[in-house]
Amino acid sequence: MAIMRPSGDFDRSYKQDMTVIRQRWQYILLIMTLLALYTLPMYASEATVSLINRIGIAIIAVQGLNILTGYTGQISLGQAAFMTVGGYTSTLLMTRMGLNFFAALPIAALTAGLIGLLFGLPSLRVKGFYLVMATLSAQFIIPWVTRTLWQDTLNGAQGLIVPVPVINLPVIANQCFLSTTFNAETAQCAYRFATPSQFIYITLTVLIFTTIITHNISRSRLGRAFISVRDNDLAAELLGINPFAYKLRAFFLASVYAGIAGALLASNLRHINSATVGLNDSVLLLGMLIVGGLGTSVGPIFGAALVTLLEEIAVVLTPLVITVAPDLAGGATAALRPLIFGLALMLFLIFEPRGMAYRWNLIKAGWRLRPFAK
Amino acid sequence: MKQIKPVLLLLFIALFALAACGSPAEEPTAVPEPTEEPTEAPVEEPTEAPVEEPTAEPEEEATAVPEPTAEPTEEPTPELRTENLEGETIIFYHFGDLSGPYAAITSPLIHGMEDAVAELNANGGIRGATVEIQFADDGGSVDEAVAIYDRFTSEDDNPLIMFTYGSGEAEALTSRFAEDEIPSLTSGLSAVAFYGEGSGYTFGLGSIYPDQFGAFLDYAVANWDEIKPDSAGDEIKLAYLSWSGAFGQGALTDETRAYAEELGVEIVIEELYDLAPTADTTTALLNAQAAGANVIWTNTLAFGPAALMNGIGALGLQGEFVLAGDNWAMDLATYAFVSDPALTVGMYAPLSYLWWNDVDHPGVQQAEAMFAANERSMTEHGVGYLVLAAAVDVAAQAIENAIDEVGFDALTGVDVQYALTNMGPYEGLQGVLSLDFSDGSRSPHSGQIRQIQGGPDAFNVVQDFTDTPDLRPAK
Repeated sequence: MAIMRPSGDFDRSYKQDMTVIRQRWQYILLIMTLLALYTLPMYASEATVSLINRIGIAIIAVQGLNILTGYTGQISLGQAAFMTVGGYTSTLLMTRMGLNFFAALPIAALTAGLIGLLFGLPSLRVKGFYLVMATLSAQFIIPWVTRTLWQDTLNGAQGLIVPVPVINLPVIANQCFLSTTFNAETAQCAYRFATPSQFIYITLTVLIFTTIITHNISRSRLGRAFISVRDNDLAAELLGINPFAYKLRAFFLASVYAGIAGALLASNLRHINSATVGLNDSVLLLGMLIVGGLGTSVGPIFGAALVTLLEEIAVVLTPLVITVAPDLAGGATAALRPLIFGLALMLFLIFEPRGMAYRWNLIKAGWRLRPFAK
Repeated sequence: MKQIKPVLLLLFIALFALAACGSPAEEPTAVPEPTEEPTEAPVEEPTEAPVEEPTAEPEEEATAVPEPTAEPTEEPTPELRTENLEGETIIFYHFGDLSGPYAAITSPLIHGMEDAVAELNANGGIRGATVEIQFADDGGSVDEAVAIYDRFTSEDDNPLIMFTYGSGEAEALTSRFAEDEIPSLTSGLSAVAFYGEGSGYTFGLGSIYPDQFGAFLDYAVANWDEIKPDSAGDEIKLAYLSWSGAFGQGALTDETRAYAEELGVEIVIEELYDLAPTADTTTALLNAQAAGANVIWTNTLAFGPAALMNGIGALGLQGEFVLAGDNWAMDLATYAFVSDPALTVGMYAPLSYLWWNDVDHPGVQQAEAMFAANERSMTEHGVGYLVLAAAVDVAAQAIENAIDEVGFDALTGVDVQYALTNMGPYEGLQGVLSLDFSDGSRSPHSGQIRQIQGGPDAFNVVQDFTDTPDLRPAK
């Protein structure tokens, strides 16, 4: 869809052409949005903050999948497995090596990226459904490894308890400020990200960075190469793009994002085992991407938010259904959640296969063309 | 100017992050006075008294919550005993899976609690205070369970007790329960939740799965000649066929492996099957047969054992294996998924509570009367209803004891936890569920071995209550 700009908004240089935020009102809106998000714990309930936290973590995982599936056209059913890698790695780095969460996070992301790279190797030879099968293997192998191997370290099926992320701040005038408490061991003031209202700051900050990076990838040479591989890999090769190298890069980046999301999820839950995220979650993440819109920057945000909210609706609806019809308990009610998700996915595939992002662009275009838009 | 904008944007983000860290800040915390000569002085001699004790060892906090030995907040005084808490409310929070894979067994648990609480209130509540229930469906998702926990704790700054039903939930929440000092009664009997690092406020409504597994092994070894399949030799060769995850793999720990080895039981194969009513177990069963297994243990429930029974029926392997499972595996919920009820006959399970067919027992009679009075469907006449009815009794007694110790106004989760660990042996619902949380135990250590010997409800005792082996995990 053509990008429509308001009258008078034109470029005088290539640099200007690359600008993301072009208008003063857009800056104001961005700052207001950030302000609203970062002050969320002040006015929203803990339940709402917790929900936003979960949506935020899901968005990061879907952003990674968007690079791989949306931009590069490589379908993966292993994203949740790479989240598991990220979760375990960050936990082990914190518990075994004493690293701080914020140091463990990038290492966990890189580790997940490298593991993802391994599972991306089949993309050299296979594509389409065959590649789906190859990535699906990650979803079986990685949980099997965490469940079965190195039980002394990984604690088998029971998994690991994950420490709460902490930042240490200096003591100023014998006082600990900003809701921190004095930690005698480090002689510093410690701020623990223990509750959703505290953890949300990590999620939001990481999400902002991943969003900026994802958006810029899509606008860069790398992103254009991804898109060319997706649209026609033979043509891309003729243009001097090595499809295999770019597919591998996409796998690496997607897994890095999954690693970040996994580390965040594990720390948020304070526990990780081989079943924390599974095949269902990989399918769900793919569903979020389809519903949100493949190959768009805002698609993962829309998709993750909508699907997570739909899941919440199922959770709220089930006790009500059981109150009205107790005999449905355990049978039909157990199907409510997948039913709602399946229905949403089906409706989107029929009525808006380009996802919510496309619809959003139509709304924006309609607004800009008013009063001439239908 | 344009170049500065991205920098400004990042600065804004950093500022927001920094400001956000301080958002809940109220009063700055004074650094506590050092009690001994510091090796190096990070700050100057403090000039004012600490506002509060330092509370956090950040990195170790989640993993090193101290073993709770908390004393009640006040000394007991006779005048605190009161029958007159009319107008007061005590909330029982509980959350479980109504819209996910464990829904079949959660529904009776919830109705068991509802009916027991209704009866409790009809009989005067807890020292006159009315008990209310707050339930939320977590869909079997740990993620959702944590979110619900956060919601409950944000809505109530002094929750006295919570009930959870899944092993995954219990494991994920155990450090939170301990940190927030909220006692939890759970039917998710994962050893990690009760005895792992960072636990202490999680109490079991049954023996932990390793203990159950050990109890069955004891029974099988002692009675092998009587119970062994015709084709089996003198050695017990066990196949562990189960679901993946905290619950499914809950009985297979280092301790149980060592215990099995000590008893001379060889675990010849470990296989997983899908957590789904339609799971095909035939491959797992054939592998077990090929490995020479003569005993199968499954740590599953409802459609879990049913899938194995259906597989055994489909392969015509009846009589080839001794089938045993955890306590939840022996439930009416299984019958809804089994192709032929006759396939259930012969299955063993260790139960740390009585069963509905103990009709002469006053506690079972009380549960039966409650069940009938509330016109519950016979599909709910299962383990969940009975155990939760008894659990409500245990919780109510613990809270009463805590009120007697510290009074109602000062009552906190710490006091309820203290009451639970100090109430000694307690017979929930007149003995339907016997619990003793003293001496660092947070789960029952005795149980019966029962066998399905006929149609639904014929879960008969083949070995009366005996101590289970203590297979708690080494920390």
